[in-house]
Amino acid sequence: MLTINLFNGLVYGALLIVMCSGLALIYGLRRVVNFAHGSLYMLGAYLGYSISLHSNFWVALVAAPAIMALLGVLLDRYGFRLLQDRDPLTVVLVTFGLLLVIEDLVQSYWGKSNLSVPVPEALAFSINLLGTPVPAYRLSVIFIGAAVALGLSLWLRFSKVGLFVRAASTDPVTTSMQGVNTDLLSAGVVGLGTALAGLAGVVAAPFLSLSPAMSADVIIDSFVVVVIGGLGSLAGAFIAALVLGMVQAIGAVYLPDAAVLLPFVFMIAILIWKPSGFAGSRT
Amino acid sequence: MTNYVLQAEDVAIHYGGVKAVDGVALTLEKGQIRGLIGPNGAGKSTVIDAITGRRRLTRGKVTLLGEDVSALGVVERRMRGLSRSFQRTSIFGEMTVYRQVELASHKMGVADSAADAQAVLTELDLWQLKDSTAQDLGYGEQRRLDLALALVGRPTVLLLDEPMAGLSVKESLDLAQHLKKLTSTWDVSVLLVEHDMDVVFGISDVVTVFELGRVIASGVPADVRANPRVREAYLGSAA
Amino acid sequence: MNFQKSLLSAVLALVLGGVLTMVVSSGTVLSLLTQAIIYAVFALGVGVLLKQNGMVSFGHALFFGGASYLVGIVLQLQLMSAELAILAALAVVTLAAFLIGLVIVRVPGVAFGMLTLAIGQMFFLTASRARGLTGGADGMNIDWPSRLFGFPLSQMLKPASMFLICWSTLVVVMFLLAWLMRTRFGGITEAVRDNEERARFIGITTLWPRAAVYALSALVTSVAGVLSALNTGFVSPESLHWSLSGVALMMVVVGGFKALWGPAAGAVVYFLFKDILGEHATHWMTIFGVALITVIVFSPTGVAGLFDRWVLGKKPSVKVGGH
Repeated sequence: MLTINLFNGLVYGALLIVMCSGLALIYGLRRVVNFAHGSLYMLGAYLGYSISLHSNFWVALVAAPAIMALLGVLLDRYGFRLLQDRDPLTVVLVTFGLLLVIEDLVQSYWGKSNLSVPVPEALAFSINLLGTPVPAYRLSVIFIGAAVALGLSLWLRFSKVGLFVRAASTDPVTTSMQGVNTDLLSAGVVGLGTALAGLAGVVAAPFLSLSPAMSADVIIDSFVVVVIGGLGSLAGAFIAALVLGMVQAIGAVYLPDAAVLLPFVFMIAILIWKPSGFAGSRT
Repeated sequence: MTNYVLQAEDVAIHYGGVKAVDGVALTLEKGQIRGLIGPNGAGKSTVIDAITGRRRLTRGKVTLLGEDVSALGVVERRMRGLSRSFQRTSIFGEMTVYRQVELASHKMGVADSAADAQAVLTELDLWQLKDSTAQDLGYGEQRRLDLALALVGRPTVLLLDEPMAGLSVKESLDLAQHLKKLTSTWDVSVLLVEHDMDVVFGISDVVTVFELGRVIASGVPADVRANPRVREAYLGSAA
Repeated sequence: MNFQKSLLSAVLALVLGGVLTMVVSSGTVLSLLTQAIIYAVFALGVGVLLKQNGMVSFGHALFFGGASYLVGIVLQLQLMSAELAILAALAVVTLAAFLIGLVIVRVPGVAFGMLTLAIGQMFFLTASRARGLTGGADGMNIDWPSRLFGFPLSQMLKPASMFLICWSTLVVVMFLLAWLMRTRFGGITEAVRDNEERARFIGITTLWPRAAVYALSALVTSVAGVLSALNTGFVSPESLHWSLSGVALMMVVVGGFKALWGPAAGAVVYFLFKDILGEHATHWMTIFGVALITVIVFSPTGVAGLFDRWVLGKKPSVKVGGH
């Protein structure tokens, strides 16, 4: 019993890794708390659903995040960039407005009832893990999460663009003075962030059903992860995502009421004692 | 033994590896105007921050009327009569002139805050603007408002951080005259940071010269002017 | 606005409300307006926090649903009379908000918003699960007695009287807030919001005023909660959900928070979109979302600000000061 719970915890944690890395990247570069991130995840899932219907899951896996990436670039270029000199709360409220728009559009186009996406045939079997059978698809989700975490970490640490991203996250003014096109960089990173949200959506669809409520379910957990992990810190987000996934999965069985409140308690404690990452001002 | 109104002993402020102020001692007697001069970055504003409690002391002691106030916060020091104005004008932009000055006076515990506010505003030629919103005032008027907020409640010590910054020659002279008058009629003691040499030497009773966080000279204006080290560091040989 | 003008406006508004009930005969329309007014009071609370403290709360639904739940639970357990229950609910919510405020108002910027979000969600989850006390996710009925403050409940629940009760409450609350803002308390909190550092340098300890404003905003929103409990006789965890807080916040932004009546205007706009536009366009939420974004970008002072500029010719304010 424990194995399957831990396993499910890892699966959810992996999903959060993909989601939250996008959230953390967007915050790191644009200092924006993207309230619309959950709806972007949802949009990615629904796009994946439609694309799957016309071709297959694997095409959707590539196409949906690509569409989301384009959306992200537009969002940055015509949203975040134009509002960058305003109060950070202004931009947050705009993302909230965006959340409403996306939710409404999704509901109008795809309807309010639950939709489901079948698990791709190539992965529709069980694997024996430590004596317990687990769905291969879910196992692959864990791998995807790990791949994203590893890929992002390596990219940020070792590539030239990654260096620029890290520099721009810390000190955007100096970085642009050094000749780095921070606007192009931001557009790219935000695009990457929204693509990751979309990817999480596509990946989640086969094992979580699609409904207009799915964005609300996941956005709070994402905020909890990003705050606990330390804003803008990818490594922190990865760890926090896994921990949250596990706590929820295990807690759901043994201590349902406490487990669901615990992440919030941590988030509140961190925001009170160390709000520095969130102060909203670039130092 | 002179009773000092304000005394700073071995005050040091270090942060982030920078020794902004390092072992500064100064005194202020009742009704005295002490000018603080020195090149940019010499630590003059930081000393004011230290004395008013805006910055924590790394080392040293600040005494007001014989009481050690080093551990007290900004609000407590203000309530004891230690008041300051700001180099970058700091006022309440969205409130009217009268309302904010009267509020400041009330917070100082003045029984008739309306009269106090009127007196201060009249003194600084702001009474006719009392119903204007602060952000609609001209630059010079805003600087005087900044000063008015510091003047209510009859402070014991007034620390002024470049009050003449950006003012015209006439405005500076007017302000200097006001300050001189305040020390005699209102018994306020003043610590004045300023770059305008004529003003500083014109109205100060004593002058302290800073360089790189330390005091390099202190005394009556004439002596300080003649001090070779000061001339070298700051005034230039033409002074 | 001075006292006489305020009083006159309030009396006029009350009279207008009465006239409206005589002119509008449709119970449906009156019920709709009642709902809008309840939301207006809710938004007013959120607006007060933004106007006086400069802080954005994503968790005010806590006080809205919380007040409703408190009334419901007290009545269910038959702890006291309904009149006392109402007062108790308002008092408890306000006190709790003050205590919470003492801790959280020190947290700056967006972090404060996230904090209110987290706290609100915690209560949402708790209410959803505490079946025994709150009826869980299904919500609970509120056992109002047959008479309230001497009036028969059945009469109070008629659309016209319900509308009048809520409308009068809105007018009275706005009047009291306007008066409060002119007092010393209003001056102190305005100064703290305008230039916190200078406020300290003129002798204001900034923690208490800000916590007090937070508690005040909670009180106003909890009044809306009580009105809602009366209006529907029911409360569910949805009344505690962050999306509800978000909607209230949007009303404040669209209506404008600088003017006291801004949030109420925003609530009206929201309901206009929802019920009138919603009849003809299923995408009313999209349109509202776009309107929200437009307002934020082009007219940060909202509808009220536009009104002030275009109709009254007031100058837009430019910020100056120590920040």
